[in-house]
Amino acid sequence: MPSTDMEKTTKTKIDKATLKKAMWRDIFTLQWSWNYERMQALGFLWAILPVLQKVYKKGEELKEAMQRHLQFYNTNPVASPLILGASIALEEDKAGQAASSIKVGLMGPLAGIGDTIQAVLFRPIIAVIAASLAMGGSMSGPLLIFLAGILWMAVKVPLFWLGYNKSTGLIGEVAGKGLLDKVTNTATIAGLIVIGGFIPSILSRLTTPLQFARTVTVDGEAVEKVIKVQEVLDGIVPFLIPVLIVGLGYYLIKRKLSPIKVLLILVALSFITNALGIL
Amino acid sequence: MHDYGFLIPLLLGLWAYISIIAQLTGLWWAEALISGALTGLIVGDVNLGLQIGATLTLMSLGMWTYGGATMPDFNTGAIIGTAIGALGSGLEGGLAIAIPTSILMTQLDVLARATTTVFIHGADKHLEKGNLKGITKMHLLGQIPWGLSRGIPVFLAVWLGAGPIQKVIEWFPEWFMGGMQLAGKVLPALGFALLLNQINVKKYWPFLLVGFALFAYINMPIMGIAMLGLAIAIVYMRLEGGSSNA
Repeated sequence: MPSTDMEKTTKTKIDKATLKKAMWRDIFTLQWSWNYERMQALGFLWAILPVLQKVYKKGEELKEAMQRHLQFYNTNPVASPLILGASIALEEDKAGQAASSIKVGLMGPLAGIGDTIQAVLFRPIIAVIAASLAMGGSMSGPLLIFLAGILWMAVKVPLFWLGYNKSTGLIGEVAGKGLLDKVTNTATIAGLIVIGGFIPSILSRLTTPLQFARTVTVDGEAVEKVIKVQEVLDGIVPFLIPVLIVGLGYYLIKRKLSPIKVLLILVALSFITNALGIL
Repeated sequence: MHDYGFLIPLLLGLWAYISIIAQLTGLWWAEALISGALTGLIVGDVNLGLQIGATLTLMSLGMWTYGGATMPDFNTGAIIGTAIGALGSGLEGGLAIAIPTSILMTQLDVLARATTTVFIHGADKHLEKGNLKGITKMHLLGQIPWGLSRGIPVFLAVWLGAGPIQKVIEWFPEWFMGGMQLAGKVLPALGFALLLNQINVKKYWPFLLVGFALFAYINMPIMGIAMLGLAIAIVYMRLEGGSSNA
C-alpha cells in the first residue's frame, strides 16, 4: 500500500467556502446515518468529502482517502467539529494516515469529556429548572430546553475553527496539562451543589399524612392531642422522605440493578405506601 | 371526545419523526418536556403536557446514550401519554401509559440502530464504484429508520389505540390511579439517583450537603444555589491545583 504521508510535497490550501461546507455538514447531519456497525463513520465521510475532492484529484487517491474516512468513528457530537477541523488541516498536507490517527486518538477522550459535561452538568441543570417551571404551568420550561439545545449547537462552530487552526497540537492539549480534567471536576462540584438543592425542592411534595391521636393529661384534664408525623420528621431533618427515597434509588443502582428495575421498584413502593396511607 | 380521528395522530406521528432527527442533529427536540407541551397544544391540554413532560424529564436526568447505548424513549412516551391522558384520565392515566411506552420503545430504538447498517453497506458499494452522489444519498437516507421507528408507533397508538386504551383506563380502580399519582411524585428520585451514580460522590459528597442546606434551611432559590455552586467549584479547583496552576 502506498503511504500518502510520503507525498507531502503538495499542500492544497482549502478555500473558506469548502471548509464551511464541511463544517455545516458535520454540525447538522453527523448522526443521520448512525448505525451499530460503524456509528458516525458515514456522517464524518460525508462532512469531509468536499475537502477530499479538492485535495485528491486522481480517482484512486480519492477512493483510498474516502475508504480511510469510512472506518469506525464515534464521539460526542459537540466534539466532532473539533476533530473534523484537525483532520482537514492534516488532509490539506495529504497526511492521510495522520488524519486517521488523530480521529482515533481524539474521539474517545473527547466523547468522555463531552458526554460528562452534557449529561452530568449542562443538561441536568437546564432540565430541572425547566421541569420546575413547567410544573408551575409555564411554557417557559420547554422554551428553556429549546434554547439550551441551540446554545449547545452554537458551541460547535468555534470548536471547528479551533480544531482546524491547532491541528495536531490538539492531542497534546487534550492529553496533557490536565486542563480538561479540571473542567470536568469543576463541573462535578458545581453540579453536586445544585443537585443537593434540587432534591428537596423537586421532591418537596413527598410528605406523609400519618398522624396519631394521643390522650395527654393537662392540669388533671384528659386532652386529645394529634401528633402529625411529618412535623416530627421536619423537626429532625427537613425533607427527610425525599432524601431517603433518592438514597434508596442510589443504593439499588450501586447494587447493579438496571434503571428499569429500579423504576419498577419505585412504582411498586408508590402503590404500597399509597395503599397503606403512609405517603 | 373518545378518539382523535386521523389528522391529529398524523401530526403527532410527524412530530415524533422530526423530533428524533432533530435530536440526532444535536438540537434538543426529542425532550419529553418539549414534546409533551407541543402534544398538549395540539390536543388542547397544554398543562397536562407540561406535567407529564416535566415528570418524564426528571426521570431521565441521569440517563444518556453513552457510546450509542439505548435509553428509555421518554420523548415518544410523552407524546402518546399526553394524547391519551387528555381524553379524560389526566396526569395519572397519562403517566400509566407514558412510562411503559417509554420502556417498550427501547426495542424499536435497537431496531432502528440496526437497520441503518444497510446504508453504510450501501455507501461501501457506491464508494467502490466511485459514485459520490450515491454516498450522499446513503447518508441522507440513513435518517429514515430512525424517524419511522418513532413516527409509526406514535401515529398508530394515537389513531387506533387512544380510544380503546381510554376505555381500559376507565376500568382502572381508584387505588391504581392513586398509586400512579404518587409514583409521579416519587419517580423524579430515580433521575437524581442515576445522576449521582455518574458522579464521583465518594470524593465530592460534602458539596451535596452544601446545596441541600442552602435550600432546606435558607430556602435559597435554585438560580442562587447554581451561582454559588459555580463560585465554590471554581475557588475549590484553584485552591486544589494551587501549586501546579500556570
